[in-house]
Amino acid sequence: MLIKLSGGTVYDPANGIDGRVMDLFIRDQHLVEPPADNEPIDQHYPLEGKVVMAGAIDLHTHIGGGKVNIARTLLPEQQPAYSRPRAGRMRSGSGGIAPSTHATGYRYAEMGYTTCFEPALLPVNARQAHMEMADTPLLDTGGYALLGNDEFLLQLIAEGAEQQTINDYVAWTLRASQCIGVKVVNPGGISAFKFNQRALDVDDVHPHYPISPRDILRTLSRALHQLGVPHPLHVHASNLGVPGNYLSTLATMDAAEGLPIHLTHIQFHSYGTEGDRKFSSCAAQIAEAVNRQANISIDVGQIMFGQTVTVSGDTMRQYANHGHAHPRKWLCMDIECEAGCGVVPFRYRDRNFVNALQWAIGLELFLLVDDPWRVFLTTDHPNGAPFTSYPHLIRLLMDRSFRNDMLARIHPDAGASSHLASLDREYSLNEIAIMTRAAPARLLGMTDYGHLAPGAVADLVVYHREGNPEQMFERPMLVFKRGEVVAREGAICASVNGSTHVVRPEYDQGIETRLAEWFARYHSMSLRNFGISDDEMADGIGSPVVIHPCASTSHP
Amino acid sequence: MWTTEPSLNQKHLTCPFCGLACDDLSITPGDRGIESLDPKCDKAKQGFRLALQAVSRGPRSNGAPVSMEVALQQSVQLLKSARAPLFAGLATDVNGMRATLELADRCGGVLDHLNGDAMFRNIRVVQDNGWVACTLSEARNRADLILIIGTQCFDRFPRFVDRVLLPRESLFSPKAGRHLVMLGPWQNNRLPATLKDYAPITLHAHPSQWADVAGMLRARLGNRPVDSGRLGGQLAEGVEELARLLREAKYSVITWSAAELTFPHAELVIERWAALARDLNQTTRSSVLPLAGNQGDITSNQVCTWQTGYPLRTSLQYGYPVHDSRLFRYQDLIENNTADLLIWISSLDPEAKPPACDLPTIVFGHPGMELGQEVEVFLPVGVPGVDHTGHGYRSDTVCTLPLGQLIERGLPSAATLLRTLLDRLGD
Ligand code: SF4
Ligand SMILES: [Zn+2]
Repeated sequence: MLIKLSGGTVYDPANGIDGRVMDLFIRDQHLVEPPADNEPIDQHYPLEGKVVMAGAIDLHTHIGGGKVNIARTLLPEQQPAYSRPRAGRMRSGSGGIAPSTHATGYRYAEMGYTTCFEPALLPVNARQAHMEMADTPLLDTGGYALLGNDEFLLQLIAEGAEQQTINDYVAWTLRASQCIGVKVVNPGGISAFKFNQRALDVDDVHPHYPISPRDILRTLSRALHQLGVPHPLHVHASNLGVPGNYLSTLATMDAAEGLPIHLTHIQFHSYGTEGDRKFSSCAAQIAEAVNRQANISIDVGQIMFGQTVTVSGDTMRQYANHGHAHPRKWLCMDIECEAGCGVVPFRYRDRNFVNALQWAIGLELFLLVDDPWRVFLTTDHPNGAPFTSYPHLIRLLMDRSFRNDMLARIHPDAGASSHLASLDREYSLNEIAIMTRAAPARLLGMTDYGHLAPGAVADLVVYHREGNPEQMFERPMLVFKRGEVVAREGAICASVNGSTHVVRPEYDQGIETRLAEWFARYHSMSLRNFGISDDEMADGIGSPVVIHPCASTSHP
Repeated sequence: MWTTEPSLNQKHLTCPFCGLACDDLSITPGDRGIESLDPKCDKAKQGFRLALQAVSRGPRSNGAPVSMEVALQQSVQLLKSARAPLFAGLATDVNGMRATLELADRCGGVLDHLNGDAMFRNIRVVQDNGWVACTLSEARNRADLILIIGTQCFDRFPRFVDRVLLPRESLFSPKAGRHLVMLGPWQNNRLPATLKDYAPITLHAHPSQWADVAGMLRARLGNRPVDSGRLGGQLAEGVEELARLLREAKYSVITWSAAELTFPHAELVIERWAALARDLNQTTRSSVLPLAGNQGDITSNQVCTWQTGYPLRTSLQYGYPVHDSRLFRYQDLIENNTADLLIWISSLDPEAKPPACDLPTIVFGHPGMELGQEVEVFLPVGVPGVDHTGHGYRSDTVCTLPLGQLIERGLPSAATLLRTLLDRLGD
């Protein structure tokens, strides 16, 4: 099958193409060089006046694993308003803030997203996360394994284990849980909460192990660097949501000691204590630190007003915030000496000073960080807002007058204490393409994704060029998944299943001897059953793996 | 173990026969299928024996043997003419449940598990209030006080003592410092032998008093004035002692098996205990550990939740999911003639049979299942973890264990047959 897309205006920042009118060719599942003149074209799409980009990639969205199912269980009353009827072969579904898996896949694809990453995959819960993602059609997926609150690693660090041993354990975890990256959530804090500690700042000492979050951050970021894993350590920093936490965030950046580090939903970590209400924006300080340090990337975790549900591994902070639950029910879980999860429904209100300022802080961060290759468009779905609000968020970034109209509606004191009104920047289409395609693919080491050069996987989106970016990004004209049209004019027309993206750094299998002993003594599962094989992924879980290379191992 | 070659000689076998999902078993084969099991567990031995010994009589139609082809054709006809099919039982593995949901979506079915009553005692508490919970390894390594409500946990979950309550080793809570408190009508029951030496604290209370005991403890711990005296001498003293232990514990765990709480409004009792654990977290750490997962109930509920957005007792009749834990109880749907076809899926236990009823019925059953009544179609299916690989959830809802294949005797999985029906139904 040879497909020609002619005359579209292409935004392909990974290849330096910023709005160039050109033809693209798809053969089967990939983009290819223009064919010989005499080769017949099977399908031709004339796209004059249309905008063409690679399929969008969400590098941080909670779409799989136990916590999402808990959110669904906790909030049955939130789902009916978003029921999605069965249509032909497309499955029925439900849910606006914690949608069912099929509904998630369909809606993402309708918006032009073709790849999504679950950022908090508990290794012990990896099978479920991968099964849920396998049941999320139309998307390629992947996960970041949660480490840094597992008692095994904390004990290793506390004992002063060699970095090499840590590296082996990290690589083994990636292999066992079939993940593409590693995330740490409130380093050491989830574990500390199990010991009844209620706060743990970057240089505080864990109540049981003589180590601090800084030690965990340094050890893990070094491990990933030395293993050559493309995606840097993905960090949910200490003290989420606490006024004054920007200092913890700066300390977290510092703990990486210049190695690559990704700070996630940084909006929730950019708060000061100025003003009458002792709550203020420190977006400027954070953005300045990001701009200054090229090893740092961030995603924002923008909030939007309305009902949502917060799901997080950070039981320490979720427990602390349970008083804000709306509706008034919440759940926390301590999990397998490995991590935890907390689910607290929440309603962000534009007339509430704190919520309104959170909204402004997120936008300030987007606008103050100079390099679109290092700032990613997320709402930390569903924590800041459901992913369905992305088109609205894109408009806020691209349209200053719209942004200022919205700013005028929020709590006036919040508006007054934000710099947002003075920020003139408007994102260009090229910058949007960077932050939603080219940059996430690059940061994840997915060389065949997020761009449109010959050889790339033909995940591709065609947009109508609308004056209003919200409309444009809400309802693309065409979405191709691996060369097949799966959505037209914002409606799904075919369903294909995706794959699971992983990395496989090498490691010394000697680590398994130590792990086997640990599992036998303390765990309630055998080591042999912990890891997921490629056969099991393909035949049982239903999502075959795609392996991305790691840089050749470097030792300091 | 996820296996690619069927074999009885495997280590680290996962047991599908209760919610503890032990995955450390090895079988010694013998004449009767199984000679012994290591580590020992009578329930598991019985489950494996029944599965391995079962001699399937093949597909049947109204009691008479028929070919698979005829049985499938008849099933398709029944599904085509049904307006309100009820998919119940649902004792299967993840892929069996995935196929069930796809078929139910296609046919507009309602879904409920044979353990639905027990399961919703817990789920309603989550839906109304949420809770603070933990998992097996967390309780095993951290709990210094475990309060066990009821007397049946040990029969339903035979290795609970070894694996969680009194493990040989524990990271943070050695056996010697652990308190076990057992609340139940214990004077009539014998403590499990494994607990004898350990002399746990037993509180004798009738189930009708359990909610009151929880309320009393909450009041005590919240320093509200209450008169524990009304519980009666010994129990009152026990409650005072328990309040002290809970306050002093670093990490307490409250556990029960909802299947045991068969009295009306049992969810209100569970809510009280969950509230107690929640309160305790203001000053110390505490969580609940509800025991469940038998007959694959957690498995089918989890898959239903991610695919429809709701737990079981969800209907797909309207073309989209609608959930109502009171309306969609399978026994009531049969009783009220609200359903017009019963699809009963039960592959783990030959005794978990469809209820006697007048509805036309298709059974996807354990190969050893002998039905008292004749049903329209009986399709023997493999036992997950014996006849085919699969996945089953543990009680704590977090761990999905891989199930291995032990033998190959040509029995299809429920998933395979359900998907065949889906293909034949077409769009
Ligand atoms: S306790 Fe349960 S899971 Fe474990 S071996 Fe016995 S029946 Fe099987
Ligand atoms: Zn997140």
